[in-house]
Amino acid sequence: MTEMQGLIAGMLLLFALVVYTFWPENAFASQKEKTRLDYLLERKEQLYENLRDLNFEYRAGKYPEEDFQAQRALLEHETAQLLAEIERMQA
Amino acid sequence: MRSRAFGFWTRVVEATVLAVAIFFSIGATDASSRFDNLGHRLMCTCGCAQLLGECNHVGCPESGRMRNELTAAIASGLSDQQILDGFAAKYGATVLAAPPAKGFDLVAWIAPFAVFLAALLGTTLLIIFWVRSDKKMQMAAVRGLAEADPAEEERLRRIRRETSEEGN
Amino acid sequence: MAAFGSFCLLIGLALAAYNLLAGALALRLLATGQPARISPERLADTARRAGIAGFIAVTGAAFALVWSVFTNDFSITYIVEHSNRALPIAYKFAALWSGQEGSLLLWAWLLGTYGFVLRLRHKTDVKLYAYAGTILAGIQVFFLLLLNFAAPPFSLLKGAIPDDGNGLNPLLQYPEMVIHPPMLYLGYVGFSVPFAFALGALMMRYPGEKWIRITRTWTMVTWLFLTCGIFLGMHWAYAVLGWGGYWGWDPVENASFMPWLTGTAFLHSVMMQERKGMMKSWNVWLIFSTFLLTLLGTLLTRAGLVSSVHAFAQSSIGTWFIVFMAIVIAVCIFAYVYQRGHLKTEHQLESLVSRESSFLFNNLVLLTACFVILWGTLFPILSEYVEGSKVTVGAPFYNRVAVPIGLFLLFLTGVGPLLPWRSTSLRAIKRNFVLPVIALWAMVIVCLVAGANPWKGGMFDSGRFYALVAFALSAAVTTAIVAEFLRGATVIARQTGRNLFAALWLLTRRNTRRYGGYLVHIGVVIVVVGLAGSAFNRNLESELGMHGSMSIGPYTLVNNSFTQDTNDNYNSEYAVLDVYKGGKNVFQMTPEKRFYLASGQPQTMVAIHSTPEWDLYVVYEGTNPDTGQPIIKAFLNPLVGWIWFGLAVIVLGTFVALVPSLTPATAALRVPAARGVQAEPVLKGGD
Repeated sequence: MTEMQGLIAGMLLLFALVVYTFWPENAFASQKEKTRLDYLLERKEQLYENLRDLNFEYRAGKYPEEDFQAQRALLEHETAQLLAEIERMQA
Repeated sequence: MRSRAFGFWTRVVEATVLAVAIFFSIGATDASSRFDNLGHRLMCTCGCAQLLGECNHVGCPESGRMRNELTAAIASGLSDQQILDGFAAKYGATVLAAPPAKGFDLVAWIAPFAVFLAALLGTTLLIIFWVRSDKKMQMAAVRGLAEADPAEEERLRRIRRETSEEGN
Repeated sequence: MAAFGSFCLLIGLALAAYNLLAGALALRLLATGQPARISPERLADTARRAGIAGFIAVTGAAFALVWSVFTNDFSITYIVEHSNRALPIAYKFAALWSGQEGSLLLWAWLLGTYGFVLRLRHKTDVKLYAYAGTILAGIQVFFLLLLNFAAPPFSLLKGAIPDDGNGLNPLLQYPEMVIHPPMLYLGYVGFSVPFAFALGALMMRYPGEKWIRITRTWTMVTWLFLTCGIFLGMHWAYAVLGWGGYWGWDPVENASFMPWLTGTAFLHSVMMQERKGMMKSWNVWLIFSTFLLTLLGTLLTRAGLVSSVHAFAQSSIGTWFIVFMAIVIAVCIFAYVYQRGHLKTEHQLESLVSRESSFLFNNLVLLTACFVILWGTLFPILSEYVEGSKVTVGAPFYNRVAVPIGLFLLFLTGVGPLLPWRSTSLRAIKRNFVLPVIALWAMVIVCLVAGANPWKGGMFDSGRFYALVAFALSAAVTTAIVAEFLRGATVIARQTGRNLFAALWLLTRRNTRRYGGYLVHIGVVIVVVGLAGSAFNRNLESELGMHGSMSIGPYTLVNNSFTQDTNDNYNSEYAVLDVYKGGKNVFQMTPEKRFYLASGQPQTMVAIHSTPEWDLYVVYEGTNPDTGQPIIKAFLNPLVGWIWFGLAVIVLGTFVALVPSLTPATAALRVPAARGVQAEPVLKGGD
């Protein structure tokens, strides 16, 4: 490929890429702001996950009884507060 | 209960320390392995950046001669330190594969352990501090547990239902 | 083609710059809500598409270089210096990254590829991806500036065009060299992505920790590439450099190891953030440091700041890197200081013995190891500055300082999984430690009986002592992890009535992250066993005439013949050795020495016979000029094969961890009459 041909190929590429970049496209994705509710639902998933894990590790024999009860009560309490807030927002 | 767990670990630590002490106290010097030992504490100076004991490329202009020097030095009855000092005097400090533990170079050896110990101490203190302050938070949370209205209880039941039996 | 390539690089730079500026402007407009003539979202989308277009332009440039190598276009300086006509096809690709300009182009192209995938997947979270894409564009601008102005790969040769090139460095003419550098670069470059996400999430005050889940796959894939890259490099050093070892604590090796250490720390501690919202600032700085260390590694090796055997390409791009690193540090500090209120910890640690605290210690050890290596690598510079004389910080330093730290880390590898999340007292889990401790002492006894004791020639040998400790800890850690698998499987077996194997399978599928992670730990243990084997290496050098023989371990090597050969690429000398074991001829080995014609450099081709017990590693050292007979050096390296097998386990474990877990069927979904009617909208909510 000579230098001239190379430059022409480069020009064509440039043209194609500029057209692609600036093509008036109306279907662009809108930047939806993440809502408080989205965040709370994510948190809920995580807390559920933590609770399931706590149960599983208890059954695998890694917690003494009273320790497990206390931990579960705390986590459940935290989750319940979260659920309350979710219910308020969805109401 | 705590003290029994503690006693168990004390015994483990004691046993380990004893084993280490025995390993270190036994052992005599044997001249035959000195060449190998010293060869791994010196660098080949040909620019290959390899240890003298491991430099093997064909036609290395230095390693053969340096090995002979090392063999001669060992045969002449010099101590390890004297041999290393002799090499350093002849070829410069870069011939030593690791910096000597004196003068400013001592810093090279101290810094890693100092950093490790400082970090270990820092982390332990941090954890102790966190555990203490979290106990307080937990106490407050537990007090909050008592005041549960019917809606709250329903939520708690639902959570228990949805998480306690992990799927079969 | 040179003109096309240069043009592509220029287009790439323009598009990356547009991506950066338009992206930043759009995000700024969105954040402040200022009115603008053009919709900021539309502007952001053109920026995104400019990023994709930029990737195509860089691909064009990479293609142009490949084309030039294959068509032997010796009008380009780079091709003359790194290739020749007789070079085999696979190594023509290797020529692409054997020099500085080519490596930088590879870097830019890989960054473009990561960015391309990221920009295609932007619908996962449009805003977060817009931030990450813009930050990646900033990094790309730097590399394209380098390629356009500091290290142009398509610069033309002045004067007459030669008939043939200088050829590829013979050290690089080895199969691994075709995949090792791209792997390593994929690892290096890949850390730009989690870096961009972390910085982006910080800048936009991303609510919650979901971004960690989004970047997890990226981080793990990157980590896997870096791990494979490092191990392939070790294998290359082992098979090519011919000194019987695989890790020489060379600055280049250290440079790849440091981001691996911080990256590993990040992978662990980020779990605490995801689960409990802890350690946010710490994690942000971990990933910042990891990215900076990848840049520092490139700076160290490329700019010739420290001497090394295999800094294959050096020049004066050091200043560019220093300036870029300063900019990155400034941006990181600014973003952190400005937004640090966003990084408040939600939870704190509940216990000194919970898994959270073992993660803290894991981070501590990994970072200390990273510091030690950085310290050792930079100490010669420091010493020269302070004392005016250079010193060498070589293998003995690292072996003495880093090995104990590594053993402590190995200890944590086993202890971590035993500890449960959240608080616990030691008492509850004490019995989980009984078996590992028994395994530890049993292994010590087995080792001592088998002769793996810490004495060598009657002298205490610290290497052998550490090896003993490593074997013992490995036994303990393996026992701990296997027990952990079994404990989990027993629970499932009890619940579901499955047999133990089915239960193990289900257990792993339910929590692929955790159990894949444990598998990686087992892989690490296997690697450590292989590394510890090096304390018992033996070697023997001997001149072998026709039918001469030498013995090492159980093997006897007999020289069957030695001869010479020649082809277009190199001349070679080699010996054909019959290997006897127990009086029987078991296999043949042909260690070889090559002399490459184009570069005029010699190269050793090591013959390796690998078994799980040890490697027989034979080097043809050359011929004795006086007798004309070959000199053979034989090594017996115990357990080396375990290192590569351990890598396979690590890869497998990482793949397991990458598979999404089975979602546990929640009671609401599973129990039909659970009055889940009210629960339904909540579970599905969000619209």
